[in-house]
Amino acid sequence: MPREPLQILAPDGTITAEPPIGIDETRRLYRAMVAGRLYDRKCTALQKQGRLATYAPFQGQEAAQIGAAAVLRPEDWMVATYRDAAAMWLQGYPWLNLILGRTGDERGGQAPDGVNVLPPSITVGAHMIHAVGLAWGERLQGRDRVAMTFFGDGATSEGDFHEAMNFAAVYGTATVFICQNNGWAISLPRERQTVAETIADKAVGYGMPGEYVDGNDLFAMYAVAAAAVDRARRGEGPTLIEALTYRVGPHTTADDPGRYRNQAEADAWAARDPLERVRRYLEKEGAWDAAWQEAIEADEGDLIEAAVAEAEAIAEPGVADVFDFMFADRPSHLDHQIELLQRDRGAGRA
Amino acid sequence: MAFEFEFPDIGEGLTEAIVVKWLIDLGEPVGLDEPLVEVETDKAVTEIPAPRAGVLLYQGAAEGGTILVDQLLAVIGEPGESWQPGGGTEPAGEEAPAAPIVGTLSEDADILTGSGPPALPRIRKLAGDLGVDLAAVTGSGPGGRVTEDDVRAAVSTGGGPLERRRLSPTRRAIAEHLTKSWREIPHVVTYGSADASAALAARAAAEGDTPPLEALLIAALVPLLRDYPEFNATLQGDDLVLKHFYDIGIAVDTPDGLMVAVVRDAADRTLDDLGNEIRRLAAGARERTLGAADLRGATFTLSNIGAVGGRYGTPIIPYGTTAILSVGRADPEPVVIDDEVVVGRRFPLSLAYDHRVIDGALGRRFMGAVVHAVESIGV
Amino acid sequence: MPEVTIAQALNMALDEALATDPTVLILGEDVGATGGVFRITDGLQHRHGAERVVDTPVAESGIVGAAFGLAITGMRPVAEIQFLGFAYPAYDQLVSHVSRIRNRSRHRFTAPLVVRIPYGGGIGAAEHHSESSEAILAHTPGLKVVVASRPYDAKGLLAAAIADPDPVIFLEPIRSYRAVKEEIPDQPYLVPIGEAGIEREGSDVTLVGYGAAMRDVRRAADRLAEGGVAAEVIDLRTLVPLDAATLVSSVTKTGRAVIVQEGHRTAGFAAEVVARLQEDALYSLLAPIERVTGWDTVVPLRRGEQHYIPDADRIVAAARRTLEA
Repeated sequence: MPREPLQILAPDGTITAEPPIGIDETRRLYRAMVAGRLYDRKCTALQKQGRLATYAPFQGQEAAQIGAAAVLRPEDWMVATYRDAAAMWLQGYPWLNLILGRTGDERGGQAPDGVNVLPPSITVGAHMIHAVGLAWGERLQGRDRVAMTFFGDGATSEGDFHEAMNFAAVYGTATVFICQNNGWAISLPRERQTVAETIADKAVGYGMPGEYVDGNDLFAMYAVAAAAVDRARRGEGPTLIEALTYRVGPHTTADDPGRYRNQAEADAWAARDPLERVRRYLEKEGAWDAAWQEAIEADEGDLIEAAVAEAEAIAEPGVADVFDFMFADRPSHLDHQIELLQRDRGAGRA
Repeated sequence: MAFEFEFPDIGEGLTEAIVVKWLIDLGEPVGLDEPLVEVETDKAVTEIPAPRAGVLLYQGAAEGGTILVDQLLAVIGEPGESWQPGGGTEPAGEEAPAAPIVGTLSEDADILTGSGPPALPRIRKLAGDLGVDLAAVTGSGPGGRVTEDDVRAAVSTGGGPLERRRLSPTRRAIAEHLTKSWREIPHVVTYGSADASAALAARAAAEGDTPPLEALLIAALVPLLRDYPEFNATLQGDDLVLKHFYDIGIAVDTPDGLMVAVVRDAADRTLDDLGNEIRRLAAGARERTLGAADLRGATFTLSNIGAVGGRYGTPIIPYGTTAILSVGRADPEPVVIDDEVVVGRRFPLSLAYDHRVIDGALGRRFMGAVVHAVESIGV
Repeated sequence: MPEVTIAQALNMALDEALATDPTVLILGEDVGATGGVFRITDGLQHRHGAERVVDTPVAESGIVGAAFGLAITGMRPVAEIQFLGFAYPAYDQLVSHVSRIRNRSRHRFTAPLVVRIPYGGGIGAAEHHSESSEAILAHTPGLKVVVASRPYDAKGLLAAAIADPDPVIFLEPIRSYRAVKEEIPDQPYLVPIGEAGIEREGSDVTLVGYGAAMRDVRRAADRLAEGGVAAEVIDLRTLVPLDAATLVSSVTKTGRAVIVQEGHRTAGFAAEVVARLQEDALYSLLAPIERVTGWDTVVPLRRGEQHYIPDADRIVAAARRTLEA
């Protein structure tokens, strides 16, 4: 019998077990999921208006990201990908940075002081091992900070996934692996990425716990992530969490899912929307109404629009933005190359 | 103010798209980020959202038509606003095809071996600077390469055989020193001759080692320098500095060139002492063992050019002094004594002095005194 | 003859290879139904089947390593890596195995595979999507490295690469995929590996480029021509083995050379071309050889890319310097 993912909150908004958080915290995290979706929609639109570089939407994965990130302390580490903006934002990475990065501006990568979130990984799969080193380094320095890393089902096929899992288990680092299995790695469906029944099963081979969770269930994500983070912080080692979710949109704005997948599948998943699920729960609990929904959408939308305006108003990157961040001190060969650039810029038209 | 929306590259290197369907009709309102038009690119069918809220004033292509990247896709303005085309950016359009490949390798041996003599870039630049046509130069370097010498020879001679030698450091120092004297000191040379018989007799009569001629001459000259202090002096700015010590330079021939060695305190030395010192200096100069103390600071210089067969000359005053006397070889020659021509021997004397501090009359008087003193040696 | 883009020309070459040689197969991420991220394999899985146009898991080392094994058995795999910046996990396979097996086994085993890799910037893509690290590949003994800049060559060179008995890295300039069009034969033909192309003859200065930079080289040659300067334009087409004879022949004639590369400057491929010219054409030089290159920086993202990618302005300026030397 196929293994079923852990679920606490059913798609219809009913609960099958005690939620791990109260109503106030549920409302706070629901609001965060709404903000994530507004950001995602805004960026998709901006890209098609020529205002962003290629964008990778995460619609449908809000609960997986917000539920996992919510259990972290502010000083904990996060190593995520280009599709994890909601998780990064909840851990303190500003919308402005995220949007700047998507406009194609390296200044977006500079996290504010005190925010221990690395710039989003663009290559697939190479970053999970970094969360092993981060957690290891924290332990060596006597701190109990946890490192949480996000990646997709596709990344588990890269060799670096094996190395990250093995190192984390061998050294017992406080690393929490969040695999958002969203069904598709661009056009490759999950069942052709690996023939293992679940990705969570892979943990067995490394000697660590593997949790299989409904990634569209905020409560299940929160509960499992909280347990894994607590375990890690106690020094009991890493955990792999497979969050079963779905990439409702295309891989990126340069992709067309109509070429390789059935729209009915996406429609079926829309019925399991992670936001709607929590909304129904809150409504049943008397903690949601349309006016509040409108208010939080307006407030969160304004913050995102303000970040867009700020990102678009920033001066275009100059030569120094290209050359001055390669080394602590700019070496002479780069000085020379700046001279060459300035000598020849536009010179051919003279 | 109407907003002109140019079709962006939405798919990493796209150049165009086909308009599938307009989702907003002309003149109809559209909201911010509301889907405006559906397009099909090489990569995807996708909806383009409106970048501004307003009324759609212009559609850049009909359904089924092609829209190029950077071409005006839509104009969104206020209700009732009119907009006229013409201000939009020209689309990038199609790039002209690349020119056809016209060839690969030219298998022409003549081209591969090049034309004209080979010369390194530095030599080419030198030839250009000196106006030398490299094609007219025959290279003497490896493989017929034109060398720097070849280029310089082509400038100076137009082609005769030359040999080029780098100056030794000693020679370069001598050259520098002489150039400075010649450039700065106005030389006057006055000539005389002195009967050598007394001096030669004195040498022949000497007991033990024959004293060097320079020793006899120095002994005769030093008293004159006391009487004519302008000749044992140095010019410093506006001051003539008279020296009341007598360090006499003597020219010595060495493998590296003619050098001036210095006999210190010549006035205090006996004839034997002078002879020994001069022998020491001559030997040291030949053996390159003299130090700086033996080679600097002469107050007056005596050049025995007779030792190498010379007679009269135009000696150059060592820089920092005011005069130099050269003494030539006293060959047998016809001389007139008491109206009779007889064979006699006389020293040819050439005195160069600094005309800035010594005038002609003084120079002649000093020469007269020198003649008398030389003729009085041993008397 | 149809006028096609580079993307279409590559698709034609792959289609012909699949149709005529049963040992040819394509493997890579998303090469099947979606036709690859740049749609180069568009329609091929539909026409030739999922056994021969194979979607792989996300694993570049796996793609190249598997292609290596396939090739040794007698198959002719054509692997696709989505972007050159994603190829680094596969470098161990390329450097340690693919490039060496012929030598290690004294010709007993060979790896006649092709790895197609889109490369270069200019489309405002995300980080790692704009790399021009071809020098690393060219530096690896045992790999042939081919870079097409135009549809005719793209088709003929890819056919030659698939037919080649040794591993060939086939680099495809992303920003030229759809921007350069040309009429090409719809019948199969080969463009030999190892031959540079002289696109334009001229006597004043030799402009040397390859791949994406050729568009700017052509623009620069046009602009120089407006000023009365006749530039000879050479498209290297193959980096390894380098067609030194064509280069030397041209520079012997013109005495001046400008080498254009989008990759980083230090130890870039232009440096190799300069070295080869000074070895074999030094006595013909009338001016220092100029390099127009990217810089020793991370390739800037979309907003800063203009500071990095060599453009026609810089090429023209360099050419003029050689003429004034």
